[in-house]
Amino acid sequence: MIHSTLGVIIAVFFLISIISLLWWMLHVPPIIPQVAARAHREVEALKNLLIPTQGMAYSERGVELACRLGMEQNATLIFAYVIEVPRTLPLNAEMGNEDKVAQEAISHAEQLAALHKMKNKSLIVRSRSAGEEIVKLAREQEADVIVMGIRQHIGLKENILGRTSDIVLRKAPCEVIIDKLPGEEET
Amino acid sequence: MVSDNTSTPPSPELPHELRRDITVWGSYMWGYADVGADIYAALGLVIAAAQGAASLAFAAAGIVYIMIGFAYTELAATYPVAGGGHYFALRGLGDFWGFTTGVALLLDYTIDIALFAVASAGYVNFFLPYFGIEPSHFVFMLGSLKINYLWLSESFAFILFLIWLNIIGIKESSLFNELIGAFDISIESSVIVFGFLFAWKPEYLIQQWQTSFPTLHQFMYGSSLGIISFVGLESISQAAQETKRPATIIPRTSVTLIFTVFIFATAFSTLSLGVLPWQTFAQHIGDPIATLAHAIPYIGLFAGPITALLGATILLISANSGVMSASRLTYSMSEFGLITKWFDKVSPKYRTPVRTIVVFSVIGIVEMLLSFLTPQAMDTLGNMYAFGATLGYLIVFVALIRLRFSDPYTPRPYKMPLNLKIHYKDRIVDFPVLGILGFLGVGMVLFEVILTHKIGRIAGPAWVVLGIVYYIYFRKKNNMPVTKSIERNWEAHQMDVLISAEEFDLAEEYRIALKERDEKLKKHEQIKTDR
Repeated sequence: MIHSTLGVIIAVFFLISIISLLWWMLHVPPIIPQVAARAHREVEALKNLLIPTQGMAYSERGVELACRLGMEQNATLIFAYVIEVPRTLPLNAEMGNEDKVAQEAISHAEQLAALHKMKNKSLIVRSRSAGEEIVKLAREQEADVIVMGIRQHIGLKENILGRTSDIVLRKAPCEVIIDKLPGEEET
Repeated sequence: MVSDNTSTPPSPELPHELRRDITVWGSYMWGYADVGADIYAALGLVIAAAQGAASLAFAAAGIVYIMIGFAYTELAATYPVAGGGHYFALRGLGDFWGFTTGVALLLDYTIDIALFAVASAGYVNFFLPYFGIEPSHFVFMLGSLKINYLWLSESFAFILFLIWLNIIGIKESSLFNELIGAFDISIESSVIVFGFLFAWKPEYLIQQWQTSFPTLHQFMYGSSLGIISFVGLESISQAAQETKRPATIIPRTSVTLIFTVFIFATAFSTLSLGVLPWQTFAQHIGDPIATLAHAIPYIGLFAGPITALLGATILLISANSGVMSASRLTYSMSEFGLITKWFDKVSPKYRTPVRTIVVFSVIGIVEMLLSFLTPQAMDTLGNMYAFGATLGYLIVFVALIRLRFSDPYTPRPYKMPLNLKIHYKDRIVDFPVLGILGFLGVGMVLFEVILTHKIGRIAGPAWVVLGIVYYIYFRKKNNMPVTKSIERNWEAHQMDVLISAEEFDLAEEYRIALKERDEKLKKHEQIKTDR
């Protein structure tokens, strides 16, 4: 005969606790193979992400991708806008509203970073070649990866990449991630 | 990589290693085997001391035990090698403390073998009259001492059986624990569930709480006995080098063990005081579970044989745990040059440390013989057991705190909860607040043991001092530093351990952490040079 309701509650609680503890213990997560583990940890080790931006839809997509790539490990995002100055002009020459465009592009990138609550810093620099400047910045800022979105249509059909991304891919001192959406004929 | 599990003999050029054959259930059972038996034996003692507040005494002891458990979980998952507390102290505090911890814990494991083999044989004797054998007839007189040679032979046979079982393979000895342990957990759970359903009266518990509350001294004594009943968690760490994927499995088995044992201990004590007066348990200190089971409807009829079977089996797997742990502890001590290298050998056929299994089980047999030759020997062994465990745990807490500062790069799959972030040498270190509380808690228990256990305070330290004398002799003889440590490449060792344990994710995490540290150091050097 049952003596007390409290006794029944304790007996049930006891059984549930023991069974759930053993159940949890026995369900071990699967093994991670060595190659997969290396990929997992190396991506996790990406702490400084350099994101060249131009304020266009494709480069802001690159910013968003970088935010998501660095979110888990709380990485620092370094936004860079390179103002390409023609060789016919001095580097500090008046460039119309280029400075304003740069400021706006950086501001959009910072808003995306704020949305993900991520640490970031921004750089607006002038250079003769955007590609060379991005490579130089990656070295100076000790970037672990460069993430850049590129336009869908780039000049000649046989050229997959533009001049800037081509230089970056060839000369970058770190990993490079290029994001390109399919062109209209590809869709 | 993990050792091959086939019968193909390993290459003669490679050193033979222990084989990773312990599963998640096996890892849990190595710990449960030890702790389960401790509770079985200590329930009556704690109730006799803490009276109406026995549950509270178990809970208070349980809090210290949980902190010890968390510390061991962190360390065993971080350093998944044989050796347990001795290895943690070696990594954190150096060779001397590694040896001191090892020798203190060795005391416990050899006592485990003796104490529990004898107690298990005692329970087996319960069944012999059913086969027409009366154990009390098999006695001879040695002076004024009455020695039961049947019981002695049974205990001896049990230890020989465990030696054989541990020699033929960790898989076999682990399987033995796994099967018997599952049976024991089921029986203990049945006693608790039936007891709470059909015999437990909360008003009776409250009445005992109100009328038989102990004095502070009695309560402290009770809780110090309670902590002794939780000794045994170390066995999981001792088996770490033979556990599959130890860094993943050990946190799970340790945390489960901590909480299941805590639940069992508080449930048994709460149930006992809601069914019978504490004085009844005080009169039956030797068989508290049988006393309790007798008073429970439905299972009361089978209480005698059930609890005798439970006692015999749980105590036997506890002795098995003692054989495994003593052998792995000394194997590790030998591997790191703390005791003679003769013990650092693994059988090429069975992949077990045969020499340490035999030698330290024989020490267990000597302790068993002592327990038969003098009526006080069992008490002495019990007291020394408490001293060894608490001293070992105390040093382990210091090692845990030290390692957080000295080895921050080794990945910790599990960290003790409650940490304070502090700046130390350009780094942020998680300072373990529970480590300090655990140290104080265990320190208090050690103080209680020294204060209240007359034999333990002499015999326990005497064992440790004797060990230290050997250590000084051994190190001097082999031209090794006595107070300082031997130079070792811990980073390479740690990487090998993680790779061999198939903990690739942690190995990669460790590699990247070391790479980042090296780059940082290089940059600092560069800055210094530039200046």
